[in-house]
Order: sequence, then structure tokens, then C-alpha cells
Amino acid sequence: MWQEILAEVIRKTLSGFGERLADFGPNLLAMMVILAVGLLAAMTVRFLLKLLLPRVGFDRFAQRIGLSLVLGKAGITRTPSGVVAVSVAWAVFGVFLLLGIGALDLRIAMDLLSKAFAYLPQLLIALGILVLGTLVSGFVRRSVLIAAVNAGLAPARLLATVAQSGLLVLFIAMALEHLGLGRQVILTSFTILFGGVVLALALAFGLAGRDLARELLERLMHPSSDDDEGDGLHHL
Amino acid sequence: MSRDVVLSSEVEARLRELGEVDLLVGIPSYNNARTIGHVVRAAAAGLAKHFPLQRAVIVNSDGGSKDGSPDVVAASDFTSPGAILVSHPLNAVQKIVTPYHGVPGKGSAFRTIFAIADRLSAKACVVVDADLRSITPGWIELLLGPVLHQGFDFVAPLYLRHKYDGTITNSIVYPVTRALYGKDVRQPIGGDFGFSGALAKHYLAQPVWESNVARFGIDIWMTTTALADDFKVCQAFLGAKIHDAKDPGSDLAQMFVQVVSAVFDLMQTYRSRWQKVETVAPVPLFGFPHGVGLEPVAVNVERMIRIFRQASRDLHEVWVRVLSDETLAGVGALASIEAAPFHFPDSLWVRVVYEFASVYHDRVLTQEQLLRSLVPIYLGRTASFVLEAAHYDSDQVEAAIAKLANEFFTQRKILLERFK
Repeated sequence: MWQEILAEVIRKTLSGFGERLADFGPNLLAMMVILAVGLLAAMTVRFLLKLLLPRVGFDRFAQRIGLSLVLGKAGITRTPSGVVAVSVAWAVFGVFLLLGIGALDLRIAMDLLSKAFAYLPQLLIALGILVLGTLVSGFVRRSVLIAAVNAGLAPARLLATVAQSGLLVLFIAMALEHLGLGRQVILTSFTILFGGVVLALALAFGLAGRDLARELLERLMHPSSDDDEGDGLHHL
Repeated sequence: MSRDVVLSSEVEARLRELGEVDLLVGIPSYNNARTIGHVVRAAAAGLAKHFPLQRAVIVNSDGGSKDGSPDVVAASDFTSPGAILVSHPLNAVQKIVTPYHGVPGKGSAFRTIFAIADRLSAKACVVVDADLRSITPGWIELLLGPVLHQGFDFVAPLYLRHKYDGTITNSIVYPVTRALYGKDVRQPIGGDFGFSGALAKHYLAQPVWESNVARFGIDIWMTTTALADDFKVCQAFLGAKIHDAKDPGSDLAQMFVQVVSAVFDLMQTYRSRWQKVETVAPVPLFGFPHGVGLEPVAVNVERMIRIFRQASRDLHEVWVRVLSDETLAGVGALASIEAAPFHFPDSLWVRVVYEFASVYHDRVLTQEQLLRSLVPIYLGRTASFVLEAAHYDSDQVEAAIAKLANEFFTQRKILLERFK
């Protein structure tokens, strides 16, 4: 008796699996095809970018704007054009991956797909804000550093780092705000952090760096007092 | 080309009235009411005394002075220049006072002067700064004479200067210009020049009047253009140059960037010309050179060395993108030596300048940042020169500068390779 029941259960299970496989198989196959095409597209994009970017002077441009230095500091040994090629290739493959998941026609996959595509522009804009922030803060750091050294200010590196960090924090807050991640929390944290840093700097500047503060203010009020004429030369 | 320069209807009418002139003295001005009267009188006296038979005009090209500089020129009386006159001029010196238009700067003021020279078919011209206190009528003769009587196209000034003055000129502008263009013009950015009408027309035809040349760098541009485009160039000894105190808002770094960027920009413009230069030739000198007593000048060498040493620590991240390993190591080693005497070798300085010049066109940094990061090394080099020349007389100082200039010429292969 129980053998018949078992055989019936197995038969129904196999039959059901076969039916579901027959329904689901084309979707699975479509996903595999989409992934294969995506892989091919990503590899092609990577090959083309690695070929073209150095030829249009992208690596030199990246060096000029400080991107190479940022990559070097992050331990990335690839050339900037290589990094861009790989990143774009992964992005292309990511899009195909989402399309492939969509091809499965599962409710959960469809929800995931629609949410991912809806969120993608925000993610890209946030990423753009971060890249811009890195470049702008790097540029400002160099400008502050060079100006401070030329003015003979001993804490030149500190001033440059503070300027760069302040800008980076600002850009990170903007990026997170754009992503809508804990908007109020981020805004409050940023306000407290920024206010705290400014207050701390003001106190440090006024108390510990009284002489430096006086020196800076004197330079500000009387620019020629100890700068160009400070060495006693007519340079031209 | 002169028709491209906008002139007021009054100036146009004045040009028609004057027709043609032989000589033109141009005075660019901006808030120089304190000194421009003296400059105009000296110019008028110089024209009357040394060129009494020629028709002459003085042109003031003003950049919108708030202190009434053009009014001072307009009110100047040329009819009684005083005891310096030895003969009565046949032609009274005329004057034109005009604002210039276009990009604000000395270059635009010069453009207006070139245009008026072209419109009046002037044979010989001179431009002098409006802030001069030491100009004499003799300057006009020395700057115009070689053009009018000897057939030269460009007369560069040669001033008496204190041994510590003009360090940007002595350590960069002069030796680089000499090494590149093969002519020994000692003060290429003097500011007071004589030039022919043909050269004025040539200047006017160059497409530079919307660039930095219109703002600053006009002095080195005029000299370099005359040299590179094969005009006949000479020098005139003018004696001491004393001028009004400069704008206190202008700092060394800003001045340095303006001058050196002009030199480096021209290096690119004339690359095909200077790559063919193989020797350096002297240029004829007019006037009567004489020495000068060297007053002691208090120079803050410690400050310059301190900035250089700090920069070698703090600006390493910038310099590493510009200098070769060997040069960077040389600069670093120099900064780390605490014991006296501090000495910056000529060969190292030349490598630094040439490597910055090479990278300037590769744009690994913005040009402003790049040149500002060179300022501390320049200060180190200047401090070294001040220490070295502490007991030098004028001849020894000139010998030291000539040695540096030769080093620049010897090492110019660095530039030739980089600019291939």
C-alpha cells in the first residue's frame, strides 16, 4: 500500500517538476544567453576603452587632475585608463545581469529589477559627486599647500589637509543625501561635525596658535609687510 | 591691422590732423599721476633736444586711471622744457591722450600705441613706463637713435642695477632667452624699449591680443618676438632705473607666475625657431656703460632658505610629478644640509628650470600651481646667489650670471629632447 502511495508521490513530483521545467526552462535559457551576451559586450567595451583612452591622452589628463595620485594612494596599480575600462565593463555586465534576472520572470526578480533600475541614476549621480569631490578637494589641497608654503606658514600640510578633508566631508554628505540614506541623520551629523570642527579649529587657532593667528592676520591686513618685500629684494 | 584697434572719434580726428610723424613716444599708464608728468616732460625734452628736425608725437594710452593720470598728460606744457634745450625744435612735439580698449593690461595699452604708430607711419618708436623717476631726455635719444640712424628694429634697455636686484631676470628670464634664441640681450623684460615702425606693424599683426600677452608678459613677448623673427636687435645703456613703489597687493608668487609663464608659453610658440639655434651671439650696445657703488642691502636670506627647506618636505608630492628622480634627489639633499654654507649649484638650478618648462606644456598640473610650486626652489637658488655674491663687485656678479647663462646653454639639450 505505502509503496503505491510513494510511487504516486514521486510520479506527481517528477511530473510537476517536468512541467515547471518546461515552463521555466526558456526563461533560464534566455537568462544564460543574456549573461553570455553581456559578458561579450563587457569584454568588448573593456578592450575598446583600453585601446582608445590612452590614445586620446586620458592617462595624461588623469595625471594632471590628480586621479593617478588618488589611485596610487588607494594601492591601485592599473593605469587610469585601465581602471575606467574595467569599471565601465563591470557596469555593462551589471546591466546585463539585471536584464538576465528579469528574464527569469519571477515576481521577486522583477521587483528587484525595477527597483535597481529606478535607483541606478541616483547611484550614478552620487558616484559622480564623489569623483568630483575627490578631484576638487585634491586640487584645493594642492593650492592651499603651495600657497601656505610660499607664505612661509609652518603648518602648511595641516592647513591643506583640513581644506581637503572639509571638502571631502561636504561632498560625501551631498552624495549620501542624494541617495536618500538617513537624510535627517546625515544632515544633523554633518552639521554637528562641521560645526564642531570649526569650533575646535577656532579654539586651537586662538589659544594654542595665538602667534600664528597674529601672523596670519597681519599678513591679511598688510599683505606687503613680510611677503614680497620681506626678503628685501626686487625680483624683476 | 591697426584698423582693428578701437579709437575714439576725437583720437581719429587727431590722427587725421597729424597725418604722418617720424617719431612716437608711447607711455602706458594706470594711476601714475605722481610720476607721469615727469616722464612726459623728459620725453618731450628728449625729442626736442635730440631730434629737433623730426615730427614727433607723445601718446598716452591709459587703462582707466582714477587719479587723473591722463589729465596730467593733457595739461603738460612742452613749450618751455627749460635749460636742457640747446636748440629750438622746428616741429613742436604733439600729444595724444587716449584710453585703450580690450583686455585690461599693459599689453592692450601697447597695442593701442602700436596701432597709432602704424596709422601715423612712425619710423621709430619708444615706449617708457609711466612710473619712472630716473628717466632723462637722454633715454629718448638712446632708445630712438639706433632705430632712426643705425637701422636697428629693436632696442632693449640695459640698466644699472644693484647686484641683488632683478633676480628673476638674472636667474631665469635672461639665461633662458639667451640659451633659446642665441642673442645676448641682458635685460629682456626691462620695460622701456625702442622699435621701428616695421616692427610695430609686425607686433600688431600677431594673434595674441586676447591672450595673456594683453594682460601681462608684453615685455618678454616684444623681446622674444623681435629675436625669434630675426629683427635687428641692439641694447642701449640707460643708467639706473628708479621707479615708483609697486602695487603692495602684488606678491612675489603672482609676479613670478606671470613672468615665467610668458617665457614658457613663448618657448612653445617658437619651438621650431629655437631648436635650430646653435650658438650665442652678442648684440651691439649703445650708450656709455659705467659702474655703480654698491649700497649694502639687507636681504632676508634665512627666510628664503627656510621656505625652500619647508617646501622640500611639504611640496614633495607636487615636485615628484615634475622633476626627474635625479633632480628631485639633488634638491632634497640640498635642503637637508643644515650646515653652512648653503650653495645651490648652477647645474641643478638649470635642470630644475628646464624640467619645469618641459612639464609646463604636458599639463601634469595646472600651470598656475606648477609655477607657484617652483617659487620656493627659486627662493633657495636666490638665497644661494645672495650668499655667494656677498663680497662680489659688479664685474664679479656679471661673471657669475654669465657662468649661469652658459650652463643654461650647455644643458639646452634637455629641452631639445623633451620638445622633440
